[in-house]
Amino acid sequence: MWARTVKGLVLTFHLAGINNQNFLMRDEETGTFWQQISGRAISGPLAGSQLEPVHSDELTFALWHSEAPQGKVLKPVPKFASEYETKDWDVRMAKERTVLDFPNSGLRSRDLVFGIEAFGASRAYPVERIFAAKVIEDRLGGEPILIVAGQDGKSIRVFQAKAEFYRAGDVLMDAETGSDWNFSGCAVRGKLAGKCLPPVNALKDYWFDWRNYHPDTTIFKR
Amino acid sequence: MAARLLSLFCALVSLACFVLPMYIIRPFRHQGAHELAVALFVRQIGPSLSVACAIVSLALLILGWRRMRGWLTRLAMAFACVLALGGAYLARVNVYELMFHHLDTPQFEVAKDSHVDKDDMVLAVLVNGDARAYPIREMAYHHVVNDTVGREPIVSTY
Repeated sequence: MWARTVKGLVLTFHLAGINNQNFLMRDEETGTFWQQISGRAISGPLAGSQLEPVHSDELTFALWHSEAPQGKVLKPVPKFASEYETKDWDVRMAKERTVLDFPNSGLRSRDLVFGIEAFGASRAYPVERIFAAKVIEDRLGGEPILIVAGQDGKSIRVFQAKAEFYRAGDVLMDAETGSDWNFSGCAVRGKLAGKCLPPVNALKDYWFDWRNYHPDTTIFKR
Repeated sequence: MAARLLSLFCALVSLACFVLPMYIIRPFRHQGAHELAVALFVRQIGPSLSVACAIVSLALLILGWRRMRGWLTRLAMAFACVLALGGAYLARVNVYELMFHHLDTPQFEVAKDSHVDKDDMVLAVLVNGDARAYPIREMAYHHVVNDTVGREPIVSTY
């Protein structure tokens, strides 16, 4: 998700190509080509520019709705409704072949990872491992981060977190004050009630795609 | 002879403006960064280069028509001109932009009216208090949604 104002100009993007199974966008206003995964202008008048990321989360509809009861949902466009993906499309996608592979990298091309690029470093967290651990504390580029699996077993969020956290049943608590934290990264009970952790941008992606555009990525092991 | 060669050259260059990027950026194959850069460069200059080629080719045909010997030459020159004009047209077409349907004026409904399944994934964004969800099953078709959330122009991509 990107802000689409660049140098004072509001851009309108089209899908204009596919590069190694990641797509390219072209903006109507300048004709510049942009890489979807990185938000980087790779060819044309704005080449070298970088779109500003807008924080977004991949959540289940139920979880999102519980957090944003007044929120709005993209309406299906009737004439395309029959073209929308079926419920099992991710199962089908997981079987699709890839155009590039990274053998001996420790992961398979279609393994789902939670990719985090922040504080000058990038690391891939296998999604399976996040759900097995429920809470992961790690350091990325020297900064402490906290990865939390949602109650729904499908949603994941990442925060910048200086304190130590642990999970007590369904509740996330920090070791120092014992305050309760919710999945939005905000303390809801205890000494720190009202405080929120800064979110960190992340992308759920297939390993080959993440690895291709983040050649220096490491893989979380523990 | 020179006119015939130039016309053929123009036809080939004009067609290449369309075919080359199309061939390099075809799906289901790996592209290196360098060849991608070449393809995108050709895409950028293609519209004007191919028009220049078509104009030259058309000029050669019209100005040289009377002096051309034999119908075969005229036919060949006319054919080259048609190819150059075709290239000039096609260099303006991006097949991907025709195949994929991004949204410029997305419509929204309040969450309680939505028919999205509880366990379906959505891309969620919150800007200046404006919370929006883009269901993945819709995004996997549209891929690009140009939107304005909390007065901020953003693009949702998947």
